Amino acid sequence: MSASPVSQVFSPSNNGVSVFRRKKEKRGITFSMMLVGASGTGKTTFANNLLESTIFPHRYQQDVPASTNNENVKIIQPTKVVTFNSMNGIPSYMSAFDPASPFLEPGITVTSTALEITTKSSEDIDSATPEKINFFLTDTLGLGENLNNGICFDEIASYLEQQFDSVLAEETRIKRNPRFQDTRVHVALYFIEPTGHGLRELDVEIMKRLSRYTNVLPIVARADSFTPDELTRFKKRIMEDIDRFNVPIYKFEVDENEDDLETIEENKALARLQPFAIICADQRDNATGKYYREYPWGKIDIDNENISDLKLLKRVLFGSHLQEFKDTTQNLLYENYRAEKLASVPAWDIENNEVIDTSINDENNEGNSSGLMKGLTRNSTAPSLSNFASLINTGKFKSQQSLAIPPQSETPSTPRLTGVDEGDESRASISASSQKSTPANIQTSPERTKLRNISENIPYMLQHERIVARKQKLEELEAQSAKELQKRIQELERKAIELKMKEKLLRQNSHSQSQESIQTNTTKQNSTSGGAYIKKEETYNDLASIISKKE
Amino acid sequence: MTTEEFVGISNLPNQIYKLVSKQGGVFTLLTCGESGLGKTTFINTLFQATLKPSDSHTGRSMQGPIRKTVEIDILRAELEEKNFTLKVNVIDTPGFGDNINNDKSWQQIIDFIDDQHDSYMRQEQQPYRDVKFDLRVHAVLYFIRPTGHGLKPLDIETMKRISTRANLIPVIAKADTLTSQELQDFKLRIRQVIEAQEIRIFTPPLNETQDDAAAMEHARQLIESMPFAIVGSEEQFDNGSGTKVVARKYPWGLVEVENDQHCDFRKLRSLLLRTNLLDLVLSTQELHYETYRRLRLESHLNGSSNDNELGEKSANNFVAAPARKLSHNPKFKEEENALKKYFTDQVKAEEQRFRQWEQNIVNERIKLNGDLEKIQAEVKKLEDQVATLKLRKR
Repeated sequence: MSASPVSQVFSPSNNGVSVFRRKKEKRGITFSMMLVGASGTGKTTFANNLLESTIFPHRYQQDVPASTNNENVKIIQPTKVVTFNSMNGIPSYMSAFDPASPFLEPGITVTSTALEITTKSSEDIDSATPEKINFFLTDTLGLGENLNNGICFDEIASYLEQQFDSVLAEETRIKRNPRFQDTRVHVALYFIEPTGHGLRELDVEIMKRLSRYTNVLPIVARADSFTPDELTRFKKRIMEDIDRFNVPIYKFEVDENEDDLETIEENKALARLQPFAIICADQRDNATGKYYREYPWGKIDIDNENISDLKLLKRVLFGSHLQEFKDTTQNLLYENYRAEKLASVPAWDIENNEVIDTSINDENNEGNSSGLMKGLTRNSTAPSLSNFASLINTGKFKSQQSLAIPPQSETPSTPRLTGVDEGDESRASISASSQKSTPANIQTSPERTKLRNISENIPYMLQHERIVARKQKLEELEAQSAKELQKRIQELERKAIELKMKEKLLRQNSHSQSQESIQTNTTKQNSTSGGAYIKKEETYNDLASIISKKE
Repeated sequence: MTTEEFVGISNLPNQIYKLVSKQGGVFTLLTCGESGLGKTTFINTLFQATLKPSDSHTGRSMQGPIRKTVEIDILRAELEEKNFTLKVNVIDTPGFGDNINNDKSWQQIIDFIDDQHDSYMRQEQQPYRDVKFDLRVHAVLYFIRPTGHGLKPLDIETMKRISTRANLIPVIAKADTLTSQELQDFKLRIRQVIEAQEIRIFTPPLNETQDDAAAMEHARQLIESMPFAIVGSEEQFDNGSGTKVVARKYPWGLVEVENDQHCDFRKLRSLLLRTNLLDLVLSTQELHYETYRRLRLESHLNGSSNDNELGEKSANNFVAAPARKLSHNPKFKEEENALKKYFTDQVKAEEQRFRQWEQNIVNERIKLNGDLEKIQAEVKKLEDQVATLKLRKR
């Protein structure tokens, strides 16, 4: 079982081999993927199918222990909650099924699992050590289950941003952590609900948000709800909607000049197939190790490429396009983010105002090539994959422009900004620290000091920002749970008042009974008619009892 | 011999039969559920006629903006079978659950159901009430997305509200994506939630006293297989043995809609049309309409006795239309509040600015006054000097 379909899928496809081998490190390749999509679209099942194991438990079935029955996959770090947010301040992940509480909105939970995939490439004799992929899988739970799903994509986007920030902080640090783990998400699979109608507001919004930080691959989940005709129509509609709303998904683009013919053909074919329609399954044939879905009307072999693109998707993810996903994340998305982030720094430490322009240009180089070599030209940091060179260049071009503008516009308004800084303790402290260090070293070697300043300040600034954000979120959560409590208290109080009212009413009734006057009873009936139905019946009973007494 | 000569009382059912078959029947069905669950297809499958083209929604969504509001689409049709005509009103609610924020999106549906009860009640109070326009909803089909997990908060909130106003029948849509095991688990969870949340779904009456064992058994079967898992299709295929059946054709097999092994479509149809149509209509009249009427009349009595703001017509027993303003919809209320807040904020900011200006002007004035005094003092000093100089000159 172990050698047959698994290794072929995980091992890089023919054209990727050469790139792969060269890039191969001893530590293996890091690859990180995120699964996003409404709940019930088969994210968990897909993850299990992808790794050919049963690592991820299904919703409400968490009592089943995580186990790998695939010897090529090893869990390094079990699934843990990375971040969560919910309206009532209660995390919902891993909660067991409780029929009394599902009206509570589950909010959103982001979990992360670290895995190690070993690939024994059987066709290679010389590779004594098997290839390893350090695979990070991030899953999102609870999306689309809330009444208001607004909080969900904020949380996911902030998680992705956090990964970028931590890498940025690490890059600018003087002393780097050799064991630093890059957790940037290289590709996000977005599972579209199989409606047959096209994209919905939520889909468009989330994909747009995600695409700022990662490559987004739209996936038609549970494709077994479509007949072949319906599927082609649905795919067409999705692509039309993606065009119409300008959703920047990952497109399998080709560069006619740079790529070899085979790659062009492959990418074109993949682009035609997008969005991939996949069928996943839980059931597994013990003899062949193949997954299947069994219905009363037939059996689906999910590896059948005529029905499901699952096998193809596996190949794209782990083989042909793995490096490309990583490169776009690093060279295009991350660089843009970084330029934006650093461009916003000058507004913060104003003391360095005059020299910011040059320092950031230097800084740009410093980030890409490890070390403080200012002499490096921009070209030397160009990525190895040539077909992306053009894209990256344009991306960098933009970033340079955006860098050039802010210092100029910031200079005249300096006094106003310092006024703002005084109000904010954090900012003031940062500017103060830079103030302290700047005059001391500025005579000896100004260039070095600037770099030093940046590498000292930015990690802390980012960290500080993160802490502030976290604090804010915690406060929000606290407020939410406080509100929830308040609501419950109010409800209880209301109930208590109701009960008191009832008691009073009963007492009154007994009182009027002693008077034995039907007249008062009828008037009371009028006055209580607004109350519950039961009360009325009670008075009726009273009437009946009174009449019987009289007789 | 006397037993052979009937008085004729036993002929009453036949008379009623004739009367009813002449009059025909009315049946109003409301479908509710997120888009893309096959509501339209199901309606077409149920009545075996294309009442509504299935592409009608998508055509519209292509042009309009993506943020949709819940709409109410009413479709009227007359179906004839064996000389009996049934007027069918199908109400669709496109756009339900399509937004990012679906809070309160059930309001339109609830309002619609209430409005029908209300208009019927007021028609009843007219002096001439023989012709009634009746669009009271007899059954609500709530389509559940086949996630395999459970019910979502939106489903629960909506179903809770519907179940107090109409006969609610939950159905699992597109059941052909769940395997038998998954379906079984899913159904169980839904039933548990429905029970725990006290959502009253419509169940066919089980008359223990009746000696019709077959009907009893049938009703029991229906209850057991709730919520119904359904598959809809408008196409017919050859099922292999030469007969044409309504089905969905997949590369891996043919899903027959009217096959009890594949889905519960036949059971649902039986519940809706064949065996329990009258139950649905009657329980709407006797239970849901009466409840609504009682609550309305009670609240009316309360309203006139407690606060006399609207009490100008409390003399007659006539119930006014509910004072339903735009602010009735909680969503509008939220928006209104947000706008109000924005407005007050703006006003505050402006006021602040004005105050600042005023302060500045006052400061300026004080400063100028000071300057003026200084200058005057100087002038005085100079004048004094001039005077002393003049004195000296002399």
